[in-house]
Amino acid sequence: MKKRSLLSGLLALVMVSVLILSACSSKNESSGSPSPSASPSATSSAAPADGDPFGGWVEGLPKIEAPAGFDWKQFAGTTLNVITENTPPSAGLASIIDEFENATGIKVNIEQVNLDIVIEKAGLDFNARNDNYHIIYADPYQILSKQAKHFVNLHTLNDDPTLPSIPGGLEDFIQAQLVVGGYMGDKENLYALPYDNPTMVLAYRKDVFEKYKDQFMAEKGYDWTPGPDMTWDQYYEVAAWINQKVKEGVITEVKYGTGHQAKQHDSLMNDFSNVLTSFGGEYFQAENLGDIGTENPGKSLLTSPEAIQAAEFYNKLLKEAAPGSTSWDWSGLAEAFAAGEIAMIPEWHEFSATFEDPSSSSVAGKVAWTILPKGPKGRGNMYGGTGIGINKYISENDKKAAWLFLIWATAPQTQNKILDAGFTPTRYSVYQLPHIQRALTDPNSEEAKNWPLASSLLAAQEAWKEENSYFRPKIPMWAQVDTIVYTELSKMLAGRQTPEETMKEIAKQSDKLTGN
Amino acid sequence: MSTRRNILYTVLYILGIAALAWSLIPIIYMIMSSLKTQIGMFTMPPQLIFEPTFDVYKDMFSARGNFTGFLSNSIIVSLITTLLCLVLGVTGGFALARGNFKREKDIAFWIISTRMAPIPAVILPLYLIFAKFGMIGTTEGLIFAYTTFNLPFSLWLMMTFFKDIPIDLEEAAMIDGCSKFRAFWQIALPTAAPGIVATAVLCLMFSWNDYAFASVFTGKGTQTVPVAVSLLVSQSGIKWGQAMATGTVVIMPMLICGLLVRKYMVRGLSMGAVK
Amino acid sequence: MLHAADRPMKKAKRNRTEFWMLLPSMIVLAIISLFPFFFMIYASFMDYRLDMDKPRFAGLDNWKNIFTDSTYWDSWGRTVIYAGGGLIIQLALGIGLALLLYHIPKFRNLFATLLMLPLFVAPIVAGLLWRFLLDPTYGLYNWFLQLLGVNIQILGDPSYAMPAVIMMDVWEWTPLITIIVLAGLQSVSHEPLEAAEVDGASGWQKVRYILLPMVRRMIVVALLIRSMDILRYVDVITITTEGGPADATKTIGYYLMQVAFRFQDIGTAAALGLTMLVVSIMLGRFFIRVLRSEEA
Repeated sequence: MKKRSLLSGLLALVMVSVLILSACSSKNESSGSPSPSASPSATSSAAPADGDPFGGWVEGLPKIEAPAGFDWKQFAGTTLNVITENTPPSAGLASIIDEFENATGIKVNIEQVNLDIVIEKAGLDFNARNDNYHIIYADPYQILSKQAKHFVNLHTLNDDPTLPSIPGGLEDFIQAQLVVGGYMGDKENLYALPYDNPTMVLAYRKDVFEKYKDQFMAEKGYDWTPGPDMTWDQYYEVAAWINQKVKEGVITEVKYGTGHQAKQHDSLMNDFSNVLTSFGGEYFQAENLGDIGTENPGKSLLTSPEAIQAAEFYNKLLKEAAPGSTSWDWSGLAEAFAAGEIAMIPEWHEFSATFEDPSSSSVAGKVAWTILPKGPKGRGNMYGGTGIGINKYISENDKKAAWLFLIWATAPQTQNKILDAGFTPTRYSVYQLPHIQRALTDPNSEEAKNWPLASSLLAAQEAWKEENSYFRPKIPMWAQVDTIVYTELSKMLAGRQTPEETMKEIAKQSDKLTGN
Repeated sequence: MSTRRNILYTVLYILGIAALAWSLIPIIYMIMSSLKTQIGMFTMPPQLIFEPTFDVYKDMFSARGNFTGFLSNSIIVSLITTLLCLVLGVTGGFALARGNFKREKDIAFWIISTRMAPIPAVILPLYLIFAKFGMIGTTEGLIFAYTTFNLPFSLWLMMTFFKDIPIDLEEAAMIDGCSKFRAFWQIALPTAAPGIVATAVLCLMFSWNDYAFASVFTGKGTQTVPVAVSLLVSQSGIKWGQAMATGTVVIMPMLICGLLVRKYMVRGLSMGAVK
Repeated sequence: MLHAADRPMKKAKRNRTEFWMLLPSMIVLAIISLFPFFFMIYASFMDYRLDMDKPRFAGLDNWKNIFTDSTYWDSWGRTVIYAGGGLIIQLALGIGLALLLYHIPKFRNLFATLLMLPLFVAPIVAGLLWRFLLDPTYGLYNWFLQLLGVNIQILGDPSYAMPAVIMMDVWEWTPLITIIVLAGLQSVSHEPLEAAEVDGASGWQKVRYILLPMVRRMIVVALLIRSMDILRYVDVITITTEGGPADATKTIGYYLMQVAFRFQDIGTAAALGLTMLVVSIMLGRFFIRVLRSEEA
């Protein structure tokens, strides 16, 4: 009948197109991954160092070494599944994964998904004691803090004489990052190796600050260029002054003095925490909250006078901020800054690559970075890094294969290789390399020009110093506490409650949650 | 009299065009933006005349972008689950409509109520089952997951359609010695074809658009297009160019499908209203 | 019309074919829906978080927690506004557009096909698209509003965020209602209309007393489909406002997602999910009753 033949005809057409498309996709996949573009590293030595089948080793870096007679290909045929957030290092590693696969014969599937999905899947997988994912992106606050016990203790693998150990040793990792990313509750078991390390610092429009420096000096009496000596009160004054001058039509290069990532989102907690700690505020009572973390954080300390002061200041500051701040997370804020609308923003240092890219930014070449301002009681630059660890429930063989991947993925030479993916090294040795040093210290050098991330890295390194860094509480119930914090803060910024009420409400809810 | 009619028509057309503008401006803007550079996309007032660039599309379909992979995964999963749910739904729907089951109304309601379960609450139990059978990250797993909302839907919808087709022709055929199943196959089925097409299109659409199940049940080689879209919202910013391009590509198959079958969809959906 | 009930002798035989035709579907449905359902009931009475080794029996704790949680009730309140407002607007617009399309003499197919497009944009893409359109820095619609002198942060202002997400839902799903109702209108037989014409009925009277009642059934079908999904789909809210600002767009569906995936508290999520299921079922029964009353 007519209708039936049309229906079957349609079905046939659709099936044929599916077949064609699947054929096309498999053709694409077999055409191989493109080679990574030239990185600022010096030309890598042609012959791999002894015992290192990967290549890419550069003079000055610790070598990947294996015990005598170690067969790098002994796990050939194994498949490893990696689940990670879609961050620069994951993209970088995914693009050079051939190097690892060819050297070891191990197939690696890197699944990149959003952080929420990583948390969801890691949670589900661990709960089912599944062996689906071998290597997992261990977000310290949402995965490691409550699921540390599902990870392999890496000391057993590192100290195993039959396996290669970490090139440069654990000492080569930036120590604070190793503690935050690798341990939980104690320093006995090492669960993960530092993998990425975005940090909040201050980005500002150096062109604006150059041009109106004298005018500001005349009116307010000090040099307004952002730097380590700037205080939050000064920051506020500068932002307000810029807003005033924009209204008067004097300043036209930007629209707003300051902007923030104040959406009802994790970003708001990050932004606020910098202020909180500068005023001497703390989230909880317990010791070691931010580094090795703890199971029970104790009572909430947000009702202290310092915390309330911080909240009041933050509320005041946001009133001077670009009005879009309450709808922006870090991306939205970065886009506004890249569009040239704002003079200063507290932002994650990894965005410097975006700001220096002329195809997406109108402020390329006009951006400078420094650490965040200090408050009456100190300073904080929020750290957001993560490590990667190994699933405990996979076979012993797979664990060793996974260990090889961890060695390679966090090796100094690999980190050097994926710099152009927007990756920030987590190892001291990489920073010591001459071309890296040049890129960092001389903005006009070839190396700096090829590596857009360099401009913010000096500030980031400054931010990692003990007196400048800030680590949020690493507790099992952080996901809920985080949500409480940024929800209540959002209500405060919307004018629904006063800063004092906000702090009291957060304290009340988190105490109820933690059972204190 | 006819001028009054003309005024009415003019008003209606103006309203119609306003409705079109409301519906289509976002889509047209999306397509336009996918052809601009990032800076071009962001400049205001919007550039209406510009030089189109296909860079984003080239990147998307390259081996690195692997968009054909996502696309084929989405197509395969949507097609297979729709086919499966059609086969089961059409036969089951017919049975429900024609059979004299006791408590038929309750069964029908139970069927549609299985589609009401909120997704986040059922993901864990489904995950446990899938994990046990090693179905996480597989295409079969996702197809099975989609069946959970497509099957009740197609069963219920087909039942509604079959109920509205008069039983006379089938009964006549059966008096002449035809078996029930043959009556179904040769008489009821062709008559209900428009309804089947309508159900198929809607099932395809629901599967194609799903993000919640896909995000959890897919793995590296099986990620679908909505998952790919979510990847564009990354820690280092949103890749707007790709987002716009993905959106443009994503509506194409459904658009073509919808256009082709609109006539049948109309006929199919109207079968419910015929008394 | 011959009716099955008039043939008692053949009843048993009739049912056998149907039974076998229905059985596979029932088996599949039972597997995929019964286990999750019973699991939800079980989990709702347990203290079950993903990071625990074994879930612990918790009696009515989860239930007590959600019923004393102000966020829970506030979210329902917001859901009433979101779902209620959304459904009413979609219905009004959808039916209005269907009537419009029904009456225009030419290009009806073209208009109808083009109007259907938003339906095919996946919710997650639609959410991103609207976020793009409403962004303060480079959003097309935001720029347009600023031209008109309206200077509001749509997605950043609690008073405007909810209307915005309702509008997104309306934009995407109104076409579904339109095509369903239009289909119904197009199949209305002409006799009653012609009779009314002869009787001197005005256009509006024809619409109100003949057309609308005849498509009532289709309207209810559309309503049922949409009401199920409007509670469950949170993709758009997730990708635009994430429940904010100041919780303004945190509907019960979003809250459930937060509890299940962010907090990974399966027990509470199960209890929450069950309450949502109950409401859905009640709504469904209500609509079906209206549908059945039609058959009288």
